[in-house]
Parts: sequence; C-alpha cells; structure tokens
Amino acid sequence: MRRSEDDLFDPEIAETLEAIEATLAGEPVDPRFADVAELSLLLKADRPRAGAEFARSLDERAAARFAAREPGSPRGMRAWLRSWSFGAFGAAGAAALAGLIAVVVVVSGGSGGGGRPAALTVRAPATPAAAGRNELLREATPSSSTTSAGTPHLNSLQAAANGRKVIQSATLDLGAPPARVDDVAQEVYNVIGSVNGVVDHSSVTSTGGSDGSAEFALRVPSASLTQTMSALSRLRYANVLSRTDNTQDVNSRFVDAGRQLADAQALRATLLKQLAAATSQQSTDALKAQLAAAEARIVAAEATLRNLNRQVNFSSITVTIQAGAAGGVGPSSGGFTLHRAAHDALRVLTVALGVVLIALAVLVPVGLLTALAFWTAAAIRRRRREQALDLA
Amino acid sequence: MTPTLTRPPARPADEGWERLEALYRASRDDVFAYVATLLRDRAAAEDVTALAFERAFRRRRTFDRRRGVERAWLFGIARNAALDELRRRRRLATLLAEPGDAADGPRVGEDPAEITLRRTTVRAALDQLPARERELVALKFHGGLSNAELAIVLGVSESNVGTLLYRTMEKLRRACNATV
Repeated sequence: MRRSEDDLFDPEIAETLEAIEATLAGEPVDPRFADVAELSLLLKADRPRAGAEFARSLDERAAARFAAREPGSPRGMRAWLRSWSFGAFGAAGAAALAGLIAVVVVVSGGSGGGGRPAALTVRAPATPAAAGRNELLREATPSSSTTSAGTPHLNSLQAAANGRKVIQSATLDLGAPPARVDDVAQEVYNVIGSVNGVVDHSSVTSTGGSDGSAEFALRVPSASLTQTMSALSRLRYANVLSRTDNTQDVNSRFVDAGRQLADAQALRATLLKQLAAATSQQSTDALKAQLAAAEARIVAAEATLRNLNRQVNFSSITVTIQAGAAGGVGPSSGGFTLHRAAHDALRVLTVALGVVLIALAVLVPVGLLTALAFWTAAAIRRRRREQALDLA
Repeated sequence: MTPTLTRPPARPADEGWERLEALYRASRDDVFAYVATLLRDRAAAEDVTALAFERAFRRRRTFDRRRGVERAWLFGIARNAALDELRRRRRLATLLAEPGDAADGPRVGEDPAEITLRRTTVRAALDQLPARERELVALKFHGGLSNAELAIVLGVSESNVGTLLYRTMEKLRRACNATV
C-alpha cells in the first residue's frame, strides 16, 4: 500500500517501515530486513499481559458501564457537588437577573407620570383679591422667573438669600378623583393652617362628577413657602398637574420708596421750621401748602413700603383643583387600560434588554478571561505531562 | 483472551454504548500493554488502565465513529492518565519478568534459552531508550497502533512518526547487536 507521505521518505526508511508492517501482519518479509523483522517480533512478544484477576474485574466494571461511584466517595461527591453547584449558580444568576429587571422597572416608575406634569404654564390667579398683585407682577416682568414642575422632587425654587427684597408667588394645579374634591380642599386648608397662612379666597364646587372643582387664593409667610408647596404637592388624594413658581426682585423699588420717604420727611421738617419762623400770612399759607404736599408724599411712600413689605413677607399661592384629571399618585388615581398595559410591557422589555446588554458587557470580558485561563491551564498541564515523560 | 462482557438484562439498545463496549473489547489488552511498558509498574498500569477506560466511558459523547480515530482517542486518554501518574510518582519501577509475559514459546527447533536471551537483550535495549522513544515502541508494538493513529496520539505528522520509528528501530538494532 503506497502512502502519500512516501514521496517525502527516504526509500530505505519507507522499505523498513513496510517490512515492520508486514512482520506485524504476519506476512513474509524481504531477507534484507530480517533483523528488523526479528526485532519487531521480539518487541511484540515482550508485550506485557494483563492478569486474569485484573481483566475479570475490569470486565465487570465495563459491563456496568463504569457506573457512578458510591455516594460519599471523593470523586462521586466532587462530581455531585460540581453538578449541583453549576445548577445552583445558574438558577441564582437567572433569579438575580430577573430581580434586577423588576427593581429597575419599579424604581423608575411605570406609565402615567405619577403626577409629574410635563409642561410649564404661567397662569394668573383667578381670584379678585389677587388682581392687585397681578398688576405689580406684570409691571416687574424683567425680574420674574418661572420654573418647571416636571422634576422628580416637588420643592419650589427659593430665591437666593442675598438680602434683596423678592416677591415670591406660585400657582399649583391639582387633579383629584371626582369623589375626593372635598377631601383635597380640606387638606389644603389644613396645610395653610399649619403654616399660619391666610386663605384670601376659596371656592369649592363638589358635584361628585368630573365637573367638580375648587380654587384657592392663599398667602403664606415667605419663609414657609417651600414647606407649603411641598406639602400641597404631596396631598394624599391629589396629584400635581402643573406648578408655576414666580420670583420678582423689587429691591430697587424698595430702595426708591425708602429714599422718597426720607426726602419727604426731611422736607417736612424743614417746612415746619420755616412755618414756625413765618411772619406773614402769605408765607404761612404757602408753607402750609408745601407742608401738605410733603405729608402726602410721606403717606404714599409709607404705603408703598408697607405694600412691598407685605408682598415680600407673604407669598401668594393660587391652587386649583380639577376633578377627574389624569394622575397617578393617589390611591384611587388612574385605572387599568390596554394602552397602559402595552406601555408597561414595552417598558419591561426595554429594561430587560438594557439589563441583558449590561450583563453581556460584564460577562463577555469575564468569559474571555475565563477561556484564556482555561486555555493557559490546559497548556500548562500538557507541558507538565511532556516534562514528566522526559523525566521518566 | 478476548474479554467478554456480561451485559445486564433489559438494558435499552444504545448504539453509542455498543460501539464503546466494542472498542473496550478490542483495546483492553493493548491499552494495558502500552501503559505497563510506559510506567514499568504493573500495579500502577492496572490502575491507570482502569482510569483510562472510566474516563473514556464518561466522555463517550466525544466518541468518534471513524475506526482509525476511535483507538487514537482512547489511547490519547490513556496517555494522559499515564503521564499524570508519572507526574505523581516521579520514579521508575523496574518491570521484572513475570510468568504471564512468556506467552509465545520458542519456535520449533529453537533453544528456549536462546529465546530468553534474545528477549532479555531486547528488553535491556528498550530500557536504555529515552522515555519518548520507549513510548513510541510501546504504542506501536504493544498498543498495536498504526502510524496514522500514532500521529494523532502524539500530535505529530504521519511522516514524522515514520521517521521517529525508523530511527528508534535502528537504535534498538544497534544496541541489540552490540550486546550480542
């Protein structure tokens, strides 16, 4: 039989190998290779043979297909522990992954927004008592500001504590279940009372239907504004639809009014001195007229200052309640719809995909490192085996 | 003696098991002979032989159908088990002549003493070989592997196996002739 590797062999090598194969097969061999043939036969004859007892016992084990060892034996125990550990590890990993997905979905919230309004609106208070304040607010437009209520935390913004005179106001729109308008209104009263605030105007229409509503014009100490807005945004039966925070810096107007008051008071003092020294009726009448004008300016300046101080020290809040408006904070808020279910399902799938991607980002490098470690260990084992053969 | 297996009754047919058992029947003595020559320790050879077949049965799913590769796969397992034993022992135990080794008697017309002398000479020359060459002889003449199977077990080309075998035989022949 001619092998394809023969072309690479020295003819003598090839013939010698053929003689060895022929000898082992029991075929006649060229006398030139008698030595090799004899050597091959002697090597084959010197082959160690298994004892009968060993052969019998090994046959029995093979007949039993080398069944698993007895429980408690080292190898059997190790194999059992290995299989159990792999199974437990896999189950624990799957459970951890499912738990992680559930936690992410719950913490980040489902559909409905939970009462977090997406849009910012600036609304003028609807009560007559606040009309005057509206005028002041509209005139000082450059220093007013609005803030979005679409943030996870519901605290109102605070003006910087720099000693300047700032007027703060806020508007809060709440949604409530139709049957809870009265309850929400009472909650508003309770909050205002707890901060020593004032209800300038209130109007509550409770019909039990979706046309129920309520409206409040409130004033609270400016130092309690943040606390009040936080409390009003967390009412038990209501959810925030929108919130507007306004600030207006009136420090320059305060300073001007104060200067006008000081000037008018100084002028009055001067005029009083002049009046005391007047000698003629004509000069006395003229001085009295000027004195009256100065008094009027003093009254006006004092009124301006009092008004500014009142607005600075007491912030106005306008609260409206709409029955049946969308929201998800209260216990009776919202209902199960197919749209919401589909939205939630999509969210779960999105989160699950994100978790899988993150897990892959961790597991792929770990897997590569593990594979490299196994390959290295296998290479080391092979090398040590070959070294053992060299040392044998 | 061809090993016989008494299979437990009522075991469902399994083609893979049957092939593995056929391989066992055909290779049991060959594996033992190879391992015994390599380790030169009969007791260790029995343990390693049993371990090799146990591992083969456990790894039966890596069993290859092609006849030429089946034995190479089995001898690869046996080789690794034997080398692991060498690593653990790191010693040599002389394989003394035992009654069971004298299976082939002298030929007709030959002096039994001469046969014994020849075998002793060959055995001494074999013991003088480096372990790798001794392993090659064990795989070829005691394990009964073909050159192609040798190449698979040793991880070299078939032409390389032929060259190594030729050189080893030449070395043995010179050693035997020098002794005589």
